[in-house]
Amino acid sequence: MLSIFLLLLSCNKEDHIEMLPFENPEMHLDIPAGFPSLNTSFAKNRPTKYGVELGEKLFNEKKFSGNNTVSCASCHNPSMAFSDNQAQAIGVYDRVGLRNTPPLQNLAFMQFYNWDGNILQLEKQALVPIITHEEMNSSILEVISKLETDHQYRELFRRTFGDDDITPDKIYQSLAQYQYTLISADSKYDKVKRKQGETFTEREARGLGLFKIKCASCHSTELFTDQSFRNVGFPLNPSIEEAGRARVTGAEEDFMSFRVPSLRNAEYTAPYGSFGQFATLKAVLDYFDEGVLEAQNLDPILKQNENRIPLSEKEKDDIIGFIKTLSDSSFVGLYQK
Amino acid sequence: MQRNSGKLYTGICSKSEQNSVANNITLHFNNTFKDVPIVLGDATSATANTSAEGQVHHFSELKYVVSNIRLIKAEGGEIPYNINDLDKGAAVVDQSKPQTLDYVLSNIPAGEYKQIKFGLGVKTELNTLDEARFPVFYASAGANDTEMHWEWGTGYRFTKIEGFYDTDNKELSIHTGSTVEGTNGDPDSYTQGVDAYRDIILTLPNNAMVGRTAPRITINADFDKLLSGKTNTITLGDDNATPSAHTAVNMLLFVDNLGGDGSSDISGMFSVSAVKN
Repeated sequence: MLSIFLLLLSCNKEDHIEMLPFENPEMHLDIPAGFPSLNTSFAKNRPTKYGVELGEKLFNEKKFSGNNTVSCASCHNPSMAFSDNQAQAIGVYDRVGLRNTPPLQNLAFMQFYNWDGNILQLEKQALVPIITHEEMNSSILEVISKLETDHQYRELFRRTFGDDDITPDKIYQSLAQYQYTLISADSKYDKVKRKQGETFTEREARGLGLFKIKCASCHSTELFTDQSFRNVGFPLNPSIEEAGRARVTGAEEDFMSFRVPSLRNAEYTAPYGSFGQFATLKAVLDYFDEGVLEAQNLDPILKQNENRIPLSEKEKDDIIGFIKTLSDSSFVGLYQK
Repeated sequence: MQRNSGKLYTGICSKSEQNSVANNITLHFNNTFKDVPIVLGDATSATANTSAEGQVHHFSELKYVVSNIRLIKAEGGEIPYNINDLDKGAAVVDQSKPQTLDYVLSNIPAGEYKQIKFGLGVKTELNTLDEARFPVFYASAGANDTEMHWEWGTGYRFTKIEGFYDTDNKELSIHTGSTVEGTNGDPDSYTQGVDAYRDIILTLPNNAMVGRTAPRITINADFDKLLSGKTNTITLGDDNATPSAHTAVNMLLFVDNLGGDGSSDISGMFSVSAVKN
């Protein structure tokens, strides 16, 4: 009797699944030629049609913050390559965070997230801002309880995952799926490289030449970062919470080391430095030219060059000219002039 | 002869009762400097301690997480106590809250126990700030007056010690927690970070008898070891007394002093001072 009952149950369950089919096709993404390899998490959470739609809606959802004032997009503003123009991130009640908001671009190709690389899978990042006092100051169950009352969300979760239960993992996965689609590879540099009819100006070409000599040891690959962590002797964040990469690794040689930033869309992501020490690209280059702070673990390349990258005013201007060819106006939603 | 067998009978009877009845064990945490119970406070009211290097220091705040509790039977065999359930098997010991100094292990099988094992901190596989899975522990650790969430590391703080050092009362702020991804020492899974979880093994001075009695085990945590430990002798200064400096290198020195180095020292600052049956 019992086994018949169980059999019926399992039949019912299968019927139930068949009655609620869901179709959520994988999204096609163009992987730019020459980009570094994908983070292995990407293969386990490939962007899907509804996952990306849901992720984008969640990304702009202020209910993620305790007082419903701050969404992911509040700091990661699309028009600034998903960064902001603050030195340090501003969260709920104008609380000031520890560091500069990192731009979000080409994340599928990154092996480390955040300036100290503490997160290795994008799916694991979303919780951090949700719970951090200076950011959204909420909790994942609080967020879920707010989303659950919204039928639109329930429907989107059902379309994405097959049922309308809202769980932490589904939120993390859909947010990551959306962010994986934020690929920027349509700058003037890319078009020149792909021979799509654009050419560098003389200034840009000189800048590229200088860039290869003065910058490309660290700002290498098609992402213009080698994704390493380096102490480049920038002015130090006075917060007692800051130790750079060392707070992750516990290693002395990582003290005040930060991930080399991608220079794609750098034009849109001022101010610069781990806590926004520099207002402009020119200020960064001036600082390197004048000489950086001494440190035991200062990057060897700087040590070998008397703690500086000597640059003339003209050279700085040329390099900035080249860096601006990495600006992808379609990515930041500007009209092509 | 009759009296003897009567006695024997009583003995058998009580033994069979012990075998059939589960009972509680209370873990009482006694936080001290050497033998002196710690009183938290400001620079004038708190218990002062002098380290091996002659450095005066005292605490305004003292918290640590205990989890992964296991009891070892006298005849061998391990009784795990909700080791994979932080809601039922983990606690924040907070010196400012007397009720947190007693942690009751409920429904422990009757029998004699010779040893206790527990973790200082949370083992890596559970250290994810998973509110949906462990809402009770998440809430208690994250309370505004507790602050044992390590948000940026999406894990728990394992210890949080605030206070003052030297005669001019400079700020002391020592936080420990794990950042490890994968398993430390396993090249197949380890990618980065440090594991600040420490397994503590303490042999009881006399067996804890669970059955008709509900034993109380007094676990001493001697915070003198923070600076004057079995593994490291530490002098506080600009390079290690606050998180920015100690996360870099020195956090693990504190961790090894408090929780042992996991090899030659498996008790750290902890010892069992009494078992009352």
